[in-house]
Amino acid sequence: MFLPALTLLAATSSQAPDATALIARLKRPLPATTAYTEVRFLHQLTRPLVLHGELEYGGADKLGKRVDAPYRESTQVEGDGVTVTRDGREPRHFDLGRAPELKVLMGGFSALLGGDADALQLLYTITLVDNAPNWTLTLQPRDTTLSKHLRKFVIDGAASDPHCFSLQQANGDSSVMLLGALAATTLPQPPTPAALAAICRAAR
Amino acid sequence: MNPRRRFAAIALWWLVLALAAFGVQRTLVVGNDLRGFLPPPRNADQKVLMDEIGDGPASRLLLMAISGAPPERLADLSRGLVRALRADARFTQVFDGDESVAQLDPVLLPYRYLLSPTLDRAQFDTTFLRDQLEQRIEDLGSPAGAALGEILPRDPTLETLVLAQRWTPHHAPALRDGVWSSARGEALLVAATRASGLDTAAQSAAIATVRAAFAAMPDAASAKLEISGPGYIGAHVAASTRAEAERLSAIGTAGFALLLLIAYRSWSILALVALPLASGALAGLAVIIIIFGGAHGITLAFGFTLLGVAQEYPVRVFSHRRAGESAIATVRAVWPLLRLAIVSACIAYLAFLVSGVPGLQQLAVFTIVALLVAGFATRWLLPALLPEKFRDVASSTLMQRAQRWLAAMPRPRALPWIALALGLSALWFAPAPLWQNDLAALAPAPAKELAREGELRAALGAPDVRYLLVLHADTAEGVLRLSETISPQVDKWISTHAVDDVELPSRWLPSLETQRARQAKLPDRATLTTALNAALADLPFKPGYFAPFLDDVETARGLPPLDPATFERSPFGARLAAMLVEREGAWYGLATLDGVHDPVALAGIATQTHGAVKLLDLKSESEILVAQYRVRILQALGVAFVLLVLAVGIAFRDGRRAWHVLAPMTLATLLAIAVLRGCGVPLSLFHLVAITLAAGLGLHYALFFERPVADAAEARRTLHATLVCVAAAVLVFGLLATSTVPVLRAIGATVALGVAFHFILSTQMAMRGGDDAR
Repeated sequence: MFLPALTLLAATSSQAPDATALIARLKRPLPATTAYTEVRFLHQLTRPLVLHGELEYGGADKLGKRVDAPYRESTQVEGDGVTVTRDGREPRHFDLGRAPELKVLMGGFSALLGGDADALQLLYTITLVDNAPNWTLTLQPRDTTLSKHLRKFVIDGAASDPHCFSLQQANGDSSVMLLGALAATTLPQPPTPAALAAICRAAR
Repeated sequence: MNPRRRFAAIALWWLVLALAAFGVQRTLVVGNDLRGFLPPPRNADQKVLMDEIGDGPASRLLLMAISGAPPERLADLSRGLVRALRADARFTQVFDGDESVAQLDPVLLPYRYLLSPTLDRAQFDTTFLRDQLEQRIEDLGSPAGAALGEILPRDPTLETLVLAQRWTPHHAPALRDGVWSSARGEALLVAATRASGLDTAAQSAAIATVRAAFAAMPDAASAKLEISGPGYIGAHVAASTRAEAERLSAIGTAGFALLLLIAYRSWSILALVALPLASGALAGLAVIIIIFGGAHGITLAFGFTLLGVAQEYPVRVFSHRRAGESAIATVRAVWPLLRLAIVSACIAYLAFLVSGVPGLQQLAVFTIVALLVAGFATRWLLPALLPEKFRDVASSTLMQRAQRWLAAMPRPRALPWIALALGLSALWFAPAPLWQNDLAALAPAPAKELAREGELRAALGAPDVRYLLVLHADTAEGVLRLSETISPQVDKWISTHAVDDVELPSRWLPSLETQRARQAKLPDRATLTTALNAALADLPFKPGYFAPFLDDVETARGLPPLDPATFERSPFGARLAAMLVEREGAWYGLATLDGVHDPVALAGIATQTHGAVKLLDLKSESEILVAQYRVRILQALGVAFVLLVLAVGIAFRDGRRAWHVLAPMTLATLLAIAVLRGCGVPLSLFHLVAITLAAGLGLHYALFFERPVADAAEARRTLHATLVCVAAAVLVFGLLATSTVPVLRAIGATVALGVAFHFILSTQMAMRGGDDAR
């Protein structure tokens, strides 16, 4: 299943062989869980939101995102359905199409950890910057409906470990997720996009 | 008349008929609505019932599924189709689930605090606002929170979302790529037609519009659009019934033509035989258009069936021609009896005219005019056009043999009485229900279509077609208040699974009273600002971010409450307009139901509300109407029978002769009904009409058999005419009896059976032998 996708990648990216090798290394046995710290820069707010929790990737169409602090919330994606559960409230169900950001995240996970590079290539222009052992994959949406919401999706990592998922929204909002060991990093006060980018790229 | 002029005259007659047919066809408006055929409603309650029978909001829905393309493509097609249909005046509402939550219409947006039930339970104080704002922070923290969009500064309590959820069907399908989707991945949508679900012509037009709009979209060809719904099934059934009737009629007509050729060995007879009937039918239609402005489809169907009697008139003339006698003389000889048959039939149909039922009155006018004109044409126009050369049928050896055989047939005096006893006991002991009140059972939809309709209805959460909750009050406000009053009861029903969902009018528009109560709870600007600032305390929202919220609440405080007229101008207005109707000064709320599991529990609401709210079972109500209607028809037929007896009695001035004519006709009718009952067939309106036609034909057989004749040759001509008529009727209606469509089978079998009985009993009880007359 991987091979045709990788051939496609090879045809369109200048660092194709590296991207190929990289994506092959990123494949994880399922289910893959990781702790995260997420920093969200939102235009409505005077300071970024900082969330701690755990991500669980359960296969091509299953993703769980749990928030443990500063409040408790669980978001489960299964297929096209999303369920958000908060303490003391009725669970909410809605369509994945209503949450473009979640859809991007979902697609990224599927492609990177599950191996559906084919779909990834259809949706995004992919570029790889390789400063071994560190690397940065930048995904830019090809589709206009997607680019209305998302400017780019950046994955930073080193060797075969992804360290950060960063999303830049079309409206200027952005979010950075520090994954795995990086989730325990003490954040600079106040956290800024630049400072977080530095953390993502410096980690080994 | 020389052959050339004769030919020209026949051609001219056909031409006149063709022109008349063209004119009639251009001006004729055929209503397919059963309701016009029912007694006029006497009060507002009946009027509402009549409006909703087969025509409730649920029966106007076309349910659609698009499949056969990738999901995003299906969603695009669904949206494209919705856009096209929303621009079309044939549709009042079109939905595919693609209503963005945050986009409440600008008309309704300022009213959200009056429309949403939030303020019934809460106040806009610091505690409530703090809880809401904390939730909004959590929403912003979630990748799933993007749906908040730009509405947040105006609507931090998300009333728009509350309303969107309130206005979404409880069992709305799942969304896929932003539009409704079935479990099988088809894109689902639903459109409400402006026309009644019963109006098959309008439904066909609406369906054609949908198909055209779909086909016009780029690369729609690869995808498949499936349509269902009551209107679709109705149109489908009507079309297939019509196609079947036309197919069988075409075969029947060909067979009839062959029969005439065999009977008269003359081609020109074929050109003449249909002229009186066609003239009568066109005249009948023209008069109906002039008097009533249009015709009901059922009037036409019944009327043309009853008109079958007129096909006998020319046949009687053809068979009775004798050597050395002019056609005019032949007509003069048979005319008194034909005239008696026509006049007595017309007098009998007068009973329909005074029935007070519009559809029956139309039927009477059509039939009377058509019979008179067909008779007139047979008497005064046809003879001049008959060919000079003909074969006297009395000379046929076959006829002589048939006559001898019939004359020699035993005629036990007890036979009619035995038949009567058998018939009555069959009627008495037949196990099947006497009447078929479910008209849909006569033209049933294919099981596959019905199953698919049920599937799509369930998938779309579309309302039930059978049940409707009707709320009655003096004013629209009264209906809305009533709707609010029963709302807790409705919630109880839903929680006990008596019903899946009830869409009350107050779900869309609260009463003015409720709106004012909510408005009174909205704090003034200063109070709200203080509460909001206290609630915001340490939360990271930008200063002044919620200024639009303060403005909107201030605006809402000063708004006049929303009335139905204003609400109906919003995109959701059509929903309310369909649910809130005025009839003769009284107001009715029509709440659709979804998934009725316990109708008995729901019906209990009538006693709780002292009759102000009623569960309407449209199926049983329409069956009650059909039953009432049948009573009217039976009464009319009863009067018609009495009039017929009087007319024949007065014409004969001889009780014995009248008895010889009327007794076989009556007994044959009884026997036909007895056989149907014995076979377990419940009788419908269509059976009644078929029985009436058969009785009309039977009257002819008896009248002509009973006629005193000078010689055996003339009796043979009578026999010939009658045999041609019987064979034609059995052929044409026997073919209908082979149909798979129950309504055609009902008419066909009943007429064929009736004609057989009428013929046999006429030969037994009315026939004279000619020179060896009784």
